[in-house]
Amino acid sequence: MKRSPRIFDLIKGLGLIGVAGFAMLYFLVNERFEWIPEQVLELARDPEILKRPPAKKCSECHKAIYEAWKDSRHSISWTSENFIEASENRTKEKCLPCHIPKSVRGEKPSPRLDLRDEGIYCVSCHFIDNKMQGPYDLLAPPHPTFRNPDYVRSNICGSCHQKTFKEWEATKVEDTCQDCHMPRKKGRLTQKAGFNLLHKKRWVGDHRFLHGEIKENDVIMESGWEENFFLISLKNKTIPHFVPTADNGDPRLYLYIKFFNEAGEEVDNAKEIIAPQQETALPYNRKIQYRYRLFDKILKAEVELKYQPAWSKEKTTVRAETVSR
Amino acid sequence: MRLLRFLLIIAAFIFIGILPVHAKDMVVKEPPKSLSKYYPPESKQPKWIQQMHKMSTHFGGVFVNLKEKDFENVDMHADKLVEEYKKTSEMVPEWEDYFDIKAAEAFAAAAKTHDIAQAGKASGGLGKTCGKCHAEQEVSVWAKFHWPSFHKIKVTDPISEKEIEFDDYMGSISSSFKGVTVNFGEGQYGRAAKALKVFKSRYLELKSTCSKCHATQDVKRFYVGKDADTAFAGLSQELNSEKPNPGKFWKNIGLLGKTGCKHCHLVHRTNSFIQEMWEK
Ligand code: HEC
Ligand code: HEC
Ligand code: HEC
Ligand code: HEC
Ligand code: HEC
Ligand code: HEC
Ligand code: HEC
Ligand code: HEC
Repeated sequence: MKRSPRIFDLIKGLGLIGVAGFAMLYFLVNERFEWIPEQVLELARDPEILKRPPAKKCSECHKAIYEAWKDSRHSISWTSENFIEASENRTKEKCLPCHIPKSVRGEKPSPRLDLRDEGIYCVSCHFIDNKMQGPYDLLAPPHPTFRNPDYVRSNICGSCHQKTFKEWEATKVEDTCQDCHMPRKKGRLTQKAGFNLLHKKRWVGDHRFLHGEIKENDVIMESGWEENFFLISLKNKTIPHFVPTADNGDPRLYLYIKFFNEAGEEVDNAKEIIAPQQETALPYNRKIQYRYRLFDKILKAEVELKYQPAWSKEKTTVRAETVSR
Repeated sequence: MRLLRFLLIIAAFIFIGILPVHAKDMVVKEPPKSLSKYYPPESKQPKWIQQMHKMSTHFGGVFVNLKEKDFENVDMHADKLVEEYKKTSEMVPEWEDYFDIKAAEAFAAAAKTHDIAQAGKASGGLGKTCGKCHAEQEVSVWAKFHWPSFHKIKVTDPISEKEIEFDDYMGSISSSFKGVTVNFGEGQYGRAAKALKVFKSRYLELKSTCSKCHATQDVKRFYVGKDADTAFAGLSQELNSEKPNPGKFWKNIGLLGKTGCKHCHLVHRTNSFIQEMWEK
């Protein structure tokens, strides 16, 4: 059977109208959303979103952000074994505010009563005054939104990372916590079919809240010899807070030094614990000098710097060097 | 004048309600199991305390409103007080005998006469029931539900890098402290200097334990703060000098022992002793 040309034209026509319609809708949603009357928006709203739902609910649309958050330490701030042990099975009242915050607003939050296993979740950080607050002025048909410039500022992190925030503030470095720990990439805020095409691409911050790495040129290590001394210095050159840094966690750097004599035998050793809780962490851009008196004739020193994060007892080697006289 | 009288009545009420009934022998018994239901982790909130606040608010509410001559609210608070008091009496069966429902009802009846003097007088009987329980139970409840346990804290020994129990750690810090003093006493300055290094690293490690119970850094000004730094600096100065000065050495040892070990023990060990009794 031969297809009637009329029907063909009709399809083409409808297609054209569709494309034009989509273009108009795209323009409306992305550029002129204030033209859409509130009553129309009501139809698209999903009231469940405003009832402080678990993160899974947000993943219906914000799938990529959800998956990233799932990989973050924030999502396990309440279920972490280490935390459960340290908080005496979560009975220490002082330990609850930052690990199960109700609402984050630039100061120490109060703890919440519901959905504690979600840890620090989407609603804690975004749901304020019955709106989803975020960095953008945009239209989200399913829920009201509000642009709040604090989302791209360090003080939102400083609600809980209070000590780190103070350290950062003192350095006067402009890079924010988000710049390094939530690096942005162009992409869609939502993955739900329809929404993802209707909304333009934007910068999306990495919700894995990346830990950060100490690289060769971040912490500078220098060493040398004097008559009866071995000297070594460490300088945190690029990281605008102490290294390591912590509020209630106990991350550490261990500096091990072994001294060898002419025969190649280890005759002495030394150790430094570089830890925020012991107030020995490396400040920003200031050289910290360690000095060891040598009692034997030493020809060689082996130096190793190891890192242990707040949430683990495993150490990884950051730097290893052999220094000969 | 009227304000003064009012304040006196309120003060009398507070004293009756909160001041413990004096008794020379104090028994610190472990609180009954059924109380645990009203504290974390079994309950998300400290429900027992919330119940206390409710009673306290209605108790106080009677007097505040009597003063304001808001008699409708006097009656409301009086009724609520009896209601909450009854409710509280059923929460912990083992503590039922502390409550005197008749005294609560008598107070409510007196309050409803709207005569402030009569209400003040009748409050005594009820207030005494509050005070007796507080005197006998509050310390136990604090030790059980408000003091975290040092027995559940582990410390990483900086020398061996092994995690050990807190009290074992105290044992090892105490023997390395002795390593310094005994060697110094014997004139073995080289050994004393070596022992000081070990002792200092163990002492510094204590700083990592504070954050397991405290959520502010400020507390580290005590026991492990400047006084300790000064003492350690003084000690190593003496031990590295050609002729150590015993006067200066012992002064710094005293400083550490007192503002470090002893003061920390005075604040933290009392409850640890009580908890230890119950754990046995
Ligand atoms: C002011 C906010 C705040 C409070 C209060 C708080 N924490 Fe944390 N906690 C943090 C932050 C931020 C981290 C991330 C690592 C760091 O900066 O220390 C953390 C990390 C941790 C970690 C390491 C991560 C893990 O899961 O293993 C432990 C353990 C921990 N906290 C225990 C506690 C305990 C115990 C208390 C109560 C004494 C407490 N926290 C109170 C903010 C807080
Ligand atoms: C039914 C889909 C849907 C669900 C479910 C949903 N959102 Fe959204 N959300 C959107 C859309 C669409 C946008 C706008 C996307 C765009 O413009 O690219 C958006 C935008 C946002 C923004 C950006 C706000 C701003 O002003 O910068 C935040 C934050 C946000 N959502 C948080 C949440 C949270 C938290 C949840 C779960 C409690 C959630 N959303 C659930 C569809 C959804
Ligand atoms: C509600 C309190 C809170 C807020 C707000 C918060 N954090 Fe956290 N953060 C925590 C806690 C608690 C942990 C530790 C979780 C755990 O490991 O148990 C943590 C862990 C982290 C870690 C991992 C640290 C590690 O040792 O691996 C990074 C990185 C981080 N946060 C960065 C940020 C940044 C960047 C922001 C701001 C955008 C932020 N946080 C906002 C409480 C918070
Ligand atoms: C610790 C606080 C925190 C948590 C938890 C959190 N966010 Fe965010 N979110 C932020 C911050 C800060 C930004 C701004 C990032 C930027 O662009 O610098 C942001 C941005 C966004 C945006 C706008 C796009 C962007 O990256 O700028 C969306 C949408 C969003 N978040 C959704 C979510 C969802 C969904 C969850 C849960 C799965 C979640 N967030 C969990 C802090 C948080
Ligand atoms: C210039 C980039 C940069 C900025 C800005 C920055 N950080 Fe970091 N941060 C790092 C790097 C790199 C690391 C890994 C080194 C380390 O462990 O300290 C790190 C580590 C951390 C850790 C892990 C703790 C640890 O040391 O084990 C936390 C928590 C953290 N940062 C929080 C913050 C907060 C909160 C801010 C803002 C006040 C911030 N950072 C600003 C680069 C940055
Ligand atoms: C059966 C024992 C008992 C009786 C009767 C009792 N209390 Fe208490 N009350 C306690 C205990 C135990 C605490 C300590 C609770 C805690 O700190 O966890 C307490 C604490 C309190 C507190 C302080 C709460 C806080 O935030 O620390 C107030 C106020 C109080 N009670 C009021 C009253 C009043 C008023 C009455 C009488 C009408 C009363 N209580 C009767 C056992 C009792
Ligand atoms: C096992 C838990 C625990 C540990 C570990 C601990 N404390 Fe405490 N400490 C307490 C409790 C509980 C109190 C009573 C008041 C309170 O809750 O803060 C207290 C009270 C104090 C006080 C009195 C002032 C105040 O804040 O209430 C100081 C000072 C103090 N501790 C210092 C320290 C220092 C310094 C360390 C570490 C060397 C430390 N504590 C370790 C539980 C602990
Ligand atoms: C955090 C504050 C703190 C500091 C500082 C401290 N102690 Fe203790 N110490 C305690 C507590 C709490 C206990 C009880 C531990 C328990 O009940 O398990 C204790 C117990 C002890 C014990 C008895 C151990 C046992 O087996 O029961 C000795 C000995 C001791 N400490 C010595 C010292 C010496 C010596 C110093 C100073 C060099 C010192 N302590 C500094 C808190 C402290």
